[in-house]
Amino acid sequence: MKSVQFSVASRREGDAAIIYPKGYLNNLSGENLVIECGIYIGKGITKIVVNFSETDLINSIGISMLLQIIEDLRNIKGTICCTNMSKLLRDTFEMLGLMQHMLVFPVESDALTYLKTGKL
Amino acid sequence: MPFNAIPAEDFLNREPELSYLKGLSKLKANALGGDVFLDGARGMGKTELLKQFYRILFWENNVVPFYYSFKTANLKGTYFAQDYFTGFVRQYISFVKKDPSLASNVAEPLQRLMPAISSLGLYWLIDCIEDFQGHVSKNDFYWQLVAAISAPVMAAQKMGKSVIVMLDDFDAAAHLYESSLGDAHGLISLFGESMRNRRCPHVITGSAGALEPVFTDHSLIGMTERMRLGPLPEDLAMALFRAHLTNLKITCAPGVQLEFLDILRGNPFYIKNLAKAAWKMQKNVIHEKDLIECYSFEVSDGETAFYWASVFSRYVKNPAQRKAMLKLLMHAIENGGIEEGKRLSLVSGLGEAETETLLGALTTSGIIRAKDTVLHDFIHCLYMTEIEGGNANDAREKIEAKYIQEREESFFEMVIPMSSNAELVVAKAVEQIGKNMNLDAEFLNYLQLALIEVCINAIEHSGSYEKKIFLKFITRPDKLEIIVENSGRPFSLESLKEVPVEEKMRLGMKRGWGYKLVHKIMDSVKVERVNDRTRVILTKNIDNGS
Ligand SMILES: Nc1ncnc2c1ncn2[C@@H]1O[C@H](COP(=O)(O)OP(=O)(O)O)[C@@H](O)[C@H]1O
Ligand SMILES: [Mg+2]
Repeated sequence: MKSVQFSVASRREGDAAIIYPKGYLNNLSGENLVIECGIYIGKGITKIVVNFSETDLINSIGISMLLQIIEDLRNIKGTICCTNMSKLLRDTFEMLGLMQHMLVFPVESDALTYLKTGKL
Repeated sequence: MPFNAIPAEDFLNREPELSYLKGLSKLKANALGGDVFLDGARGMGKTELLKQFYRILFWENNVVPFYYSFKTANLKGTYFAQDYFTGFVRQYISFVKKDPSLASNVAEPLQRLMPAISSLGLYWLIDCIEDFQGHVSKNDFYWQLVAAISAPVMAAQKMGKSVIVMLDDFDAAAHLYESSLGDAHGLISLFGESMRNRRCPHVITGSAGALEPVFTDHSLIGMTERMRLGPLPEDLAMALFRAHLTNLKITCAPGVQLEFLDILRGNPFYIKNLAKAAWKMQKNVIHEKDLIECYSFEVSDGETAFYWASVFSRYVKNPAQRKAMLKLLMHAIENGGIEEGKRLSLVSGLGEAETETLLGALTTSGIIRAKDTVLHDFIHCLYMTEIEGGNANDAREKIEAKYIQEREESFFEMVIPMSSNAELVVAKAVEQIGKNMNLDAEFLNYLQLALIEVCINAIEHSGSYEKKIFLKFITRPDKLEIIVENSGRPFSLESLKEVPVEEKMRLGMKRGWGYKLVHKIMDSVKVERVNDRTRVILTKNIDNGS
């Protein structure tokens, strides 16, 4: 456990947005994540990469917030990619049956390459 | 009988009590007090303190000691009077002649002592004996008792020397009777006269519960004060145990801490018995584990068990009552006492009235309230054999297994508020506990997640006013157990129906995942309702092989 403070940083790369949730992913921070994505979606972005490299602890309520993003992107035929997930995070997503609703890449650059070229 | 005290140097930690007792006759003469009720758990050393005190007084020669034990006394009034009276006469003469053997020789009839008494010039004592025998030959029940009980007062007055009267296990005197048990009430109050005498300080012992009704008898309250005999401090308890072992030619293995002795809570009787058990079990060298083995023997089959069995037998008249008593005691242990207003006949299997009587007796005796682990283990053993029909060996092994396991356990408790991020404090704590246990770092992440889920479930859904979560972490070499409790709305695992993700998305339902994770992470998840609290028990088996 490094920090408990949660913040969301983000940046744009081409037609994709990359989101960096940091710290403890719970209900509050999950909501921030949804808001942050919402802003990009509002600007017409349909490709979102969530880089989890700085997420340490999580809880199910925080994770469930991702459902919102998945759903929003699905409605606009967008894509969500998750990267840099710890084993715990991957396992947890697996346990909750979330994996089939997102694309998972080991690192951010893999996701960006895929989004540019359409190739895995 | 009072002379079988242990050597003074082996008698530990009672200097303040002894020195207070030594001042009693002065206090009494000056009407500043002088009667003591010596209170203390069974085996704590009340009788021994009296015997030590007796020996000191005997050799100091300033005050005459008289000791009488009601424990083994025949409570039929005429027998008692005879026993008490002759006991006093013998002890008095032995004091004057400084011959301890006279006091102990119960076989010698009073008549044979007459020449000695005359040669000592104690003519008043001869009168006294003749008066007493007069009452006996006239079959005068009441006067026999009065004459016997007032003999020490008489002696004090005639000789001008205080007599300290020590009445051990005095509560039994409440049961003095004339021809059949229970036919005479209040004979105990005959002691009031003697207790009021300025030359006769009294030191009495007995269970506080049993003596309370006696002390509401105003003639006996007088100036009695309570002296509480507490446990031996831990270091002295260990020293005493080691001394017993040395006497029995048993040694302690190097580095043995004797930590397990703590269970005996500084009770000298238990300490002695445990040492004897080691001897009976032919131990030559004691390791910590042997203590547990000997202890399990002690509470199932040893002198401690024998002692408690004989105490128990006083309260029951037939096998049905005995079973009922065991059930009630076990019930009290498991529930931390007896609840008011509960239909205990359901527990005891006896009728309402009989249950009440039995419970009353157990309550007065103090047995039911005693916070005595040794007694509880004894009861547990008896329960396993007599109620559950197990055999004695199994019972003993169960006790042994329990303590061997506890020895390897470590135990943490914490309370967190139901406030935001409080669950992270738990996560941090469990991380360190896991590290202490050498648990795999990756697994610890999962464990943290599971605990966070249980805590936030309590925070979000319990509706508790208390707003606290109580956690216990119990670690064993093969298992980690975490107990999470909170007040508020009950919940059950059945109520957490699984909803597939697709469904969740469709319905906009994003909750109820927590326990799904917990189940996947832990080996077992149990939810119980205990009074007004929900208790979640999480266990994880630890595979030491990998
Ligand atoms: N202070 C003490 N130091 C050492 N041994 C003691 C001490 N007090 C009691 N004992 C021993 O413990 C045992 C129990 O004491 P006892 O006086 O019979 O207890 P009680 O009368 O309170 O039930 C006896 O064997 C006694 O010799
Ligand atoms: Mg005693």
